[in-house]
Amino acid sequence: MNGTTTMEFQPKDYKSDLKPIWCPGCGDFSVVAAIYRALAAIGRPPHEIAFVSGIGCSSRIPGYTTAYGFNSVHGRSLPIAQGIKMANPELLVLAAGGDGDGFSIGGGHIPHMIRRNMDITYIVMDNQIYGLTKGQLSPTSKKGRTSSTSRHGSLEQPVNPLLYALAYGAGFVAQAAPIDIAGMAATIEEAIRYPGFAFVNIQSPCVTYGEESQQIKGLKAISESLPALGHNPADRLAAMDLAQHYGDKLHLGVFYRNPEPPPTYGDLIKERQELLSKDALPRERILDLFIKK
Amino acid sequence: MPTQGFDFAKLTLMDALDLAVLVEAEAKERYEEFAYQMEQHRTPEAARFFRYMVENETKHGEQLAQRRQELFGSTKAVVNGTMLFDVEAPDYDAARAFMTPRAAMAAALESEKKAYAFFSSAIPAIKDPQVRALFAELRDEELEHQDLVHAELAKLPEEALVSDEDFVDPPNSPD
Repeated sequence: MNGTTTMEFQPKDYKSDLKPIWCPGCGDFSVVAAIYRALAAIGRPPHEIAFVSGIGCSSRIPGYTTAYGFNSVHGRSLPIAQGIKMANPELLVLAAGGDGDGFSIGGGHIPHMIRRNMDITYIVMDNQIYGLTKGQLSPTSKKGRTSSTSRHGSLEQPVNPLLYALAYGAGFVAQAAPIDIAGMAATIEEAIRYPGFAFVNIQSPCVTYGEESQQIKGLKAISESLPALGHNPADRLAAMDLAQHYGDKLHLGVFYRNPEPPPTYGDLIKERQELLSKDALPRERILDLFIKK
Repeated sequence: MPTQGFDFAKLTLMDALDLAVLVEAEAKERYEEFAYQMEQHRTPEAARFFRYMVENETKHGEQLAQRRQELFGSTKAVVNGTMLFDVEAPDYDAARAFMTPRAAMAAALESEKKAYAFFSSAIPAIKDPQVRALFAELRDEELEHQDLVHAELAKLPEEALVSDEDFVDPPNSPD
């Protein structure tokens, strides 16, 4: 995060007048509450924050904040967030969406965000189902899951979002859930403060189409805190080892935080611009570049 | 403990009052959200009960804020809204589409019990006797709030054998 102004804010300062229309009990209510708290703790004014999403229930989230919001195209939150960050590097840029938006139609964008190390925080509300379109299989649905598109059970293995981000070399990978809102807010805050691409997977229950085991009670039964396990977030291989349990266990906290964050794409662009500007021609002589001598 | 960033041993009376005001404000906000959700889902009885809880939390919050003002004037608060989570506010997960008034009251009762547990568990760690007395008072008020909800529950007719839930489409219906 490239900090500019920091002031004292309350969570309510990030809450817009628009009221969420999610189903009562939806996990996304807790996620947006945790985002308000994380942003207040960071203290950047709402007009210095851009929040981009794709399409889906969870992608409504930017509208519920007072930040600049862009409820964009299905699966395209990350490239749009990148464009915003490149155009105005001083903005704090968040991207969010669901598992379908992020790992299916938008899945191809994640590796490029990671290899460029864009200074963007990507929050995925992973409910293992397409809720908005009434309960079809999503890329993170468990094998065997019955749904409106898999009456006899899914035949596919789910995508493992944590392993996916770690394998591509993301500098910050974490997981949170509404069973611990304080922990979720702290994790999101830490992700935003990380200088580079930060990925937070949030197990956010779908109360309408989710299975019983995916609701709060079920999540509590399989949750384990990473700090309580003694996990060292600087150990990438240990993080990958733990990430393999995605779906069977719910590990909460930071899986991996690069102890020596590499420069962000924005840093490299700035460096390149400074280097090239030394030999730059004045504006009135710019056409000389195209004239053969 | 549903808070972060607090050391109860170091809380001053002003911090404790500010914290109490924030606790009430958070609960009020949550009940407002629940009332709106129920109105959206055409469940006016549950919405009406949640609005009643909004009034209660507002009244209690105003009383605490007035007390704070009388004792400490406009001295800048040290505690803020990022430091507490769901002390008296019902869990987001407690709301459900098509809630009956009884279910709405049960959710409120759970949150009052949660608040009672919060203040009870904090008291042993508090060093300042004035703060301890305030927390004991707040804890006891949570019992009164529980009585209020019980009184509302008693006004309800007997639960029907068939609930509204029986008429809701089951999740994951393949058709």
